[in-house]
Parts: sequence; C-alpha cells; structure tokens
Amino acid sequence: MASREIVRYRSPLRSALQGLSILFLIFFFVWTVLPLFIMVVSSFKDLLDAFQLPEVGDWGDIGVMFDFKPTGAHYVELFTEKHFGTYLRNSLIASLGSAAVSVSLGSMAAYALSRAEFRGKRDLLFWIISTRMAPVVAVMVPLYVIFRSSGLVGTLPGLILAYTTFNLPFAIWILKGFFDNVPYAIEEAAQCDGCTRWQAFRLIIPLVAPGIGAFIVLCVLFGWNDFLFASIIGSGGAKTLPVATAELVQPVKIQWGMIMAAGVVTTVPMMFLGLLIRRYLVAGLTMGAVRE
Amino acid sequence: MANIANIDVAGGVVRGVRTVDYVPEDFNRRPPRYYLLWLMLPAILLLAAISLYPLVWLIYMSLHEVQLAPGKSDVWAGIDNFSRLATDKKFLRGWLTLFKYSALCLSVEIGLGVLVAVILNNNRFEKILVTIFLMPMMMAPVIAGFLYMFLYNGTFGWYFWILQSIGLLEGGSILGNKFWAMFAIVATDVWQWTPLIALITLAGLKRVPQDQLEAHMVDGAGPFRNFFSVALPNLYPFLLIAILLRFMDNFRFIDHILIMTGGGPANATKILPTYLFDVSFKFFELGRGAAIAFTLLLLTILLGLVLTIVFEDPTRKLRTQRED
Repeated sequence: MASREIVRYRSPLRSALQGLSILFLIFFFVWTVLPLFIMVVSSFKDLLDAFQLPEVGDWGDIGVMFDFKPTGAHYVELFTEKHFGTYLRNSLIASLGSAAVSVSLGSMAAYALSRAEFRGKRDLLFWIISTRMAPVVAVMVPLYVIFRSSGLVGTLPGLILAYTTFNLPFAIWILKGFFDNVPYAIEEAAQCDGCTRWQAFRLIIPLVAPGIGAFIVLCVLFGWNDFLFASIIGSGGAKTLPVATAELVQPVKIQWGMIMAAGVVTTVPMMFLGLLIRRYLVAGLTMGAVRE
Repeated sequence: MANIANIDVAGGVVRGVRTVDYVPEDFNRRPPRYYLLWLMLPAILLLAAISLYPLVWLIYMSLHEVQLAPGKSDVWAGIDNFSRLATDKKFLRGWLTLFKYSALCLSVEIGLGVLVAVILNNNRFEKILVTIFLMPMMMAPVIAGFLYMFLYNGTFGWYFWILQSIGLLEGGSILGNKFWAMFAIVATDVWQWTPLIALITLAGLKRVPQDQLEAHMVDGAGPFRNFFSVALPNLYPFLLIAILLRFMDNFRFIDHILIMTGGGPANATKILPTYLFDVSFKFFELGRGAAIAFTLLLLTILLGLVLTIVFEDPTRKLRTQRED
C-alpha cells in the first residue's frame, strides 16, 4: 500500500485553487449555518424584533439581526397554551414505539435472512427494499381507508403501525448487512460448546449491539421527523410535534416566533442523536450501501 | 458423498477405492434450518400486513369509486380511474414537474456535494466541518420548509433581503412567483441534502487507491487531471448510489413543498406526489388517488429493481476494498 502522504509542489495554479477552495468552504459554511442560526435567534425575539430588516442594499446595517432583547416567551407559550408537552410525548411514544417494534422483529428476521439460504430469497429482499422505497403518500392512500374502518386513525397505535411501514423494512435490510459481517463460525463454536441455537444467537448480539443501538436511534429519527403520516393518520388524537407546528399557521396570522421555537424544540434533540450515532449515519442513510 | 474410483498412485493404479467428494462451503452460508423460518416469520407477517394487504386494497380502490360516508358502498368503476388519467393534464404535468424538480435537485446537489467533498478530503478541519455540515439533515423536512418560508418572506425574510440587495430580485414575492418558486423549493432540498452527497463522496474518496494517484502525479498530472481521470472513475459507484437514493427521496418527501407552496403558484411546483396528496386528502377522491398512487408505485418498483442490482454488486466490491 502506498503511503498516504503525497509531496505537493507549490505552483500558481495550486495556490489559486487553494484560495478558491477556502472561499468556497466559507460560502458553504455560511449557507449551511445561517438558516439554523436565524431560526434559533428568531425563536428568542419578540415579533417586532424578528421583523427588523436593514434597508435594501444596506450591508453595513446587518447588525440589526443582533439588536434585540432575548425573550423566552415563545417557548413558555408553546408549552403552556399550545400544549406542546402533550405533542412532545406523542412524538416520543410514536417514534420510540415504532423503533422498538421494528428493530426487535427486524433483528430476528435480519439474522435469519443473513444465515438462511433458500429459493426466492432475492425476491423477498427485493420486496422488503421496495416497501421501504414506496412514497409515503402512495402508501397512505390504502392505509388511510383500512385504518379508518378499524378505528386506528387518530390513535398512537395507528401512528406506530404507520411508521413501521418504513422502519421495519429499513431495520431488516440494514441489520442483515450487519449480521452478514459476523462469521457463522462463532455460533458454530458456541454450539460445539453446548449452546442451543437460541443461546448462540444471543451470544453474537453483543457483536452487533452498537449497530443495533444506532439503528434504533435512526428509526426514532425517521418517525420523529415524519409529517405526512402524522398529519393524516395521526390527526386528532395523536398529534406529533411537526403537525402541531404546522397548526401554528393560522389564516389570520402566522405566529413566526412560536414556529421558530417549535422548530428548535423539534430539531435540537435530533441533532444530538445524529451526533451520537455519527459513525453509523452514512451507512444508515444509504441503506447500508456506503460505509465510512 | 461416497464414490468408487480408480486412482493413480506411484507405481500403478489402485482400483475400487472409496473416495469422498469434499465440497468446501462458504463459511457464512448454511443449508436451510427451520428455526430460521420461525425467527423470520413475525417480521415478514407484520410487513405483509402493512404492505401487501394495503396493496391489495389499493388495487381494489383503484377499480372503484370509493365512498367514505358510512353506509354507502363502493361503486365498481372498472378502469375508469386509469383511463381518466390519460387525459388528466395535472397528472401528466405532475410527472413532468417531478422530473424537472428531481433533475434540478440532483444536478445541484451532486455538483456542490462533490466539490465540498473534494475540498474537505484530508483538510485540517475535515472532522469538525463534516459534523457541522450534517446538522441540516437531522431536521424534519416540514421544519426546514417553515424555516425557508420565513427566510423567503417578502417583508421580513433575510434571504429575500439578500436577493434584493445583490440585485437579483426586484420585489414581489419568491414563493408566489412561478419562476422563483421552483428554485426556492430546490434550494431547501439542496440545503438539507447536499451534505449527504458530500459524505457519500468523501467515503468514496477515502477509497481511491493512493498508488494510482501517486503514479498519475509522477507522470505529471495536475490536480484537475488527477481528479477527472483517477478519482472520478473510482467514485462512480458511490455517485450512482447517491443519485438513486436522492431520486427516491425526491418523491418520498414532499413535506416542505406542502408547507411552502402547496404545489402553487399555478401548479408550478405541483410534483406528482403533491398532486396525489391533493386528490386523496383534500378532495378525498380516493379511487382516483389510488390509481395515481399505483402509477407512482410502479416507478418505485422499477427503482427498487435497479437498486437491488446496484446494491448487490458494488456493495460487495466496496466491502472487499475496505478490508485491504
């Protein structure tokens, strides 16, 4: 293997490229962070301050963004008058519930799919992945009718089931990739030592545990961030944070301060979770096709 | 398997020796075991209940006029729901808009993402910058929609102000303008998902063989030649995966479109899934909705087929490359 260090000589082209790339990085950094920053700052501004803008073209006056008295009123109002505590709980129950169902059933199925060889396995896998790829709106059309007739619309179990339509195939598919990387020899050795098959399966769980943990977190994230299912199937009794946020838009006036505060409440926990599973993030978001 | 064979040994032939065919098995693959079936069954049954059963319903619905009011039964409609789609202008435009939207999103995201990855690769601040760049991906698409709606607002939006200040925009509104609305939505998607493309590309760049790069440099290639003739060919499988995944998500997630424009102005941003949402959950014409959903699912199945093929082979190649 060649060494990673490559000797680079200075040349005018190279210095120009370097300068340009630094400029581009700064631009991309600002482009990524500015909206987040504005969201957080606006959530602490009262309505008048939030609407302050400099004159068109007056770049010097950009400091007006910071010219405000911080207030936590929007957050207080969210949790007292708008009952965001309840919606937060709904969001948590729905996403955690679906993650638990998906990963527990999914890991068993993934293990079996990884170890078994049978006719039609490819077709089964194809079915699983295309279930995951199906557009949420298209899935929701029949699901809505079925749930309506069985009284699941507007309930948390209904929402958990709805989230499971995308979380379960995800869990099966991605955990299968994980079990594929654990040699069967380990279980064989355990069985030689007198373990039953079930004990042998339990024995390799610690090997895949970090991955399983990370994918529980990802399932929670997918459920938490969902809007479409929650707005139709959860409407009424099982309102989640994104839906509650959307309802802050009223015909007469849009309560921007509260919307930004709700955005912070919805986003910040997920960002922390994202950092927590940083190592598995790329594998998770590419269905296991790309690993870092 | 025991066989009878004649084998050559030094000094002659020995007849009638029992030999055993030794078939080395792939150590990770085992013959079928029924306990594995039982492990698989709960998940498969649940998945069938929430995906195959609704699919049967979807087909049933697409052939009927679905009545939601209690006590009324569905009316058989034959293929009416489908044949009406052929003349439905909004349906056809929905497909076109979907492809236009995807093409815009993908080209900008791939361009920016690869550029970011190439610059970040082996940069001093790579780790911290990557961590910062991933933040938008964790945001719910609805919240991103609201955030951008706020930024685009004609009276107090900062992006509106910036666009005006650099002279790109005269006035009016961004989301209410037929030309700008599409770009506004694309920008939201680009903001959220370019980092994913950058991450995938970075993972790919780490696997570009260094000796090839070195050999190329020794032969006198500059940075551009190096990128286009060594790095890029090695990146193709990664970019292919990125494109397929993003394309799939482009019609899976319409949350930000529903929030920002709802498909308007004058249907300029009404991509097919948005139209499907309107038909099914605004007008509650579920039979027609089912027919549209069916066409959308066909595309999904096609994509799924491509994905299983792509995922099977390059994945294995990528994994083996990782191990050395």
